[in-house]
Amino acid sequence: MSEVQRRKYSQEEKNTIFDGEFMPHIDSMYNFAYRLTFDEDDAKDLVQDTYLKAYRFINSFEQGTNAKAWLFRILKNSFINEYRKKSKQPAKVDYQEVETYYNSDDVDYQSTTDLRAESVKGMLGDEISNALNSLAVDFRTVIILCDLEGFTYEEMAKILDIPIGTVRSRLHRARNLLKDKLRGYAHHMGYDTDEEEEI
Amino acid sequence: MDMNEETSQSRKLKCDDTSKCFQLLESILDGEMDNSKEVLKEKLAKCQPCFEHFHLEQAIRDVLKTRCTKQEVPTELADCIRQKIQDIK
Repeated sequence: MSEVQRRKYSQEEKNTIFDGEFMPHIDSMYNFAYRLTFDEDDAKDLVQDTYLKAYRFINSFEQGTNAKAWLFRILKNSFINEYRKKSKQPAKVDYQEVETYYNSDDVDYQSTTDLRAESVKGMLGDEISNALNSLAVDFRTVIILCDLEGFTYEEMAKILDIPIGTVRSRLHRARNLLKDKLRGYAHHMGYDTDEEEEI
Repeated sequence: MDMNEETSQSRKLKCDDTSKCFQLLESILDGEMDNSKEVLKEKLAKCQPCFEHFHLEQAIRDVLKTRCTKQEVPTELADCIRQKIQDIK
């Protein structure tokens, strides 16, 4: 944590902030942690560490501001610094490679045209969830923050320490990757896709 | 939204700049555009690829929100955190 400690809360104020502003986000925090680590114990440890850090650095939190974004930022940093190394998740796609690949507009368009809204609507929760979980962590993260947790681009930029323009483009690429995965499922499950009709 | 009711006959079949248009549509769906209603109405009425992309993106957001079930939080986690906080107070 690099924030300057600007406040000096009393013990009672600390308790009020912790119980009133931090603890209500435990469900979202655990869900985010679980989708990052894919492991219940790791997720529990990550959330616990995040709350302990939040308490320790509570003087750098301004009461009544966006506690959820503040907590998510701590959790994300803890994950990168401590958990990513020992994470049990399978081999990840190299992020640079993926970014370069998806910089091509041709790929951008061609790869997604044959997936239809109707096919997506007919998919099961597991298929959606597996598609999301299969994305490299940086792409998975922006979709979780935006679509599952409802953060704005500005909040995401603060949580991830990246410019808003990068949030926008990373989300766009993440969504294209997700569509590729979903198209794969749609094709496999025999849902209606253009590709299938041509065979 | 009643965009589905529009006929596809008046829409062009090829988008001039899918990359730019699709990112714009995604920003609108994310609630990141001011005065987006007019832009959206025009795009969806005039361009078939934009129309399809918008509805596909909307469907994906819907299923992400409704079908990516929240992981059940272990009951002891909150108590465990409170206990650790007590210890460091």
